[in-house]
Amino acid sequence: MTGVILAGVIGALFALGTFLLLRRDLIRVVWGLAIISQAANVYLLAMGGIAEGTAETVPVLEGHGHEIHVPMAVADPLVQALVLTAIVIGFGMTAFALVLSYRVYEEHGTLDVSKLGDRE
Amino acid sequence: MIGSVPATALAASPPVAESQLVIAPLLIVLVAAVGSLLFGRWTRARIGVSLLGGAAYAVAVAAIDWYIVLAPSAPGAATYQVGGWPAPFGITLVADGLSAFMLTMVAILGVASLVFSTRVLPEIDRRSYYFPLFHFLALGVTGAFLTGDLFNLFVWFEVMLMASYIFVAYYGGPQHTRAAFWYVALNLLASAVFLLAVGGIYATTGTLNMADLSRRLADPAAYGIDPRSVLGLYGLLLSVFAIKAGLVPFQFWIPTAYRAAPPQITALLAGATKKVGIYAIIRLSFTVFADAPVAVDLTVPGTGLAVAGNSPLPFVGAVLFVMAAASILVGGLGAVGRESIEGVLAYSSIGQVGFIAVPVAIAATTTSPELRQFGIVAALVYALNHTLAKGLLFLAVGAVRTATGTSSLSDLGGLAGRSPPLAISFFVGALALVGIPPLSGFFGKFLVFDVAARAEAPSVLALLLAGSLLTIAYATRTWNRSFWGARTAAVEEATTDSVQLAVLGVLAAAIIAVGVGFEPVYEFADAAAEAALDADAYVDAVDPADASDVDLEAGGEGGETGGEHE
Repeated sequence: MTGVILAGVIGALFALGTFLLLRRDLIRVVWGLAIISQAANVYLLAMGGIAEGTAETVPVLEGHGHEIHVPMAVADPLVQALVLTAIVIGFGMTAFALVLSYRVYEEHGTLDVSKLGDRE
Repeated sequence: MIGSVPATALAASPPVAESQLVIAPLLIVLVAAVGSLLFGRWTRARIGVSLLGGAAYAVAVAAIDWYIVLAPSAPGAATYQVGGWPAPFGITLVADGLSAFMLTMVAILGVASLVFSTRVLPEIDRRSYYFPLFHFLALGVTGAFLTGDLFNLFVWFEVMLMASYIFVAYYGGPQHTRAAFWYVALNLLASAVFLLAVGGIYATTGTLNMADLSRRLADPAAYGIDPRSVLGLYGLLLSVFAIKAGLVPFQFWIPTAYRAAPPQITALLAGATKKVGIYAIIRLSFTVFADAPVAVDLTVPGTGLAVAGNSPLPFVGAVLFVMAAASILVGGLGAVGRESIEGVLAYSSIGQVGFIAVPVAIAATTTSPELRQFGIVAALVYALNHTLAKGLLFLAVGAVRTATGTSSLSDLGGLAGRSPPLAISFFVGALALVGIPPLSGFFGKFLVFDVAARAEAPSVLALLLAGSLLTIAYATRTWNRSFWGARTAAVEEATTDSVQLAVLGVLAAAIIAVGVGFEPVYEFADAAAEAALDADAYVDAVDPADASDVDLEAGGEGGETGGEHE
């Protein structure tokens, strides 16, 4: 069930991001890019495998203050590390894209993509 | 065990070389970047640190070339496990023939562009972050060539892209910010696609280490993997790499971005970051995914066109060939009608990447191992020629701009008489693009034609011939419009910079030297192609630990880092 909901949410995020990406307003384009990268992050997290959580699968409680018992089921930590990296990169890129769109506005006096001049 | 080393040498050298040399170029560039940032206030110190970093980088790359690949007792490949974590758990850096060949190209062009930059900068802005960014760009490119981990490749792509975004927007005018925004938007989208592919590959195979991937995909049953979805995921990756390489239909960002960035940076964008895309296609197609047992059948009914096999390679070859053919035509036709030198060169580099991709596509579709290796060699030699020639030409654009303040064809004319050294350098670069002996371009073109001839594909030969004729057309037109004819006012008042001309002269000499002394270059490219194709040697060099080897105290489900599926 979790998997179905997650798939639906990821699909909806990608759809929303694509819709915004195709707008004429530059800020919406940046929003679209940000949402698509977040959707990719959620997808990446889901790729570690989804299992229903129970009291036995909470590593902090189980191992807290004692030696951690390895056979305990834990979530795949690698995808979480990957997502952490991807979030940081995505954050920097979004910030840059926003600053750049402000600069585009300063140079062109508009945020309308179709009025930014000829592409030769 | 390791392909290019004779049996006697193998006994003398360790089969698996761990070497700190592998990480040296990365550390040097990083130190240079931080150093030039620290000396932000003192222009001379900053330039000094940068040049020192460039020289040290060239030495480190030369050391990798010699001690790891070319020396008689060299191991052929060396690794560095970052942080002491064994593969596949940590990040592995791998320097083998292919990486070393690519690094050498970048080192030559990078140092040339760096020296050139020191003479352009006073005009632009002395206190800008130009040099740190330059080193970060080189850092991303170097990391992408050296990494042995798929996610780490993504990170290095981002490092490289971040610096290149800023360079595209560097002058800050209307067309520069517009070009930068398109470039950023496209590449952010490409990054998301890259992440999707990485996630999917991890979920399918349970690893992201390239050597481990290669080993698992070669024998999926032993690891309990279903390799079928890997083909589609690799298709996603291929599209990301095609965007970096600028293959049609992903070429549209190139003309605007190349004209917006400073010319000496465009030389690097065309000569280095494009080659990262090519490198990634070769590395992942031939070293990592080649042995995955995925049935591919792309036979078109009724035409006799049949591309099929039990590997992703026929798919890669077919897709790459269509993109390469379109690139050659779009790039060639586009370049003929441009109104500025850098416009011509930007379209030209779309076409030239097509020339690099055609032999790769033939190598992927052929079943003959000799032709496969020969195809990669041709692609690498052509890539080297393109890096040198296009780098030289873009730097020449920079020199023309410094001298005359313009690079528009209608404002130029008679430059040959005004500055013969500049004209000769440009002439050598243009002839190398066209492929005149004894320049490096001749062997590049010759090998690519030879690969097509050996594959017995007359239509490919016709395509290459058409592309070559277009190259002659736009090279001649650019030369005639800017270097011959009556001197314009801009040219009459031109004052050239001697250091810039010296850099151009050195690159022109390198193009001639590669053409005249082609034998060692060919051998190096051959060693690189062998490294790209020999997946077993790559896996042996990295030697990823098996999940069952890992000793976890309590045992349990084992040390599988891989996806724990429902």
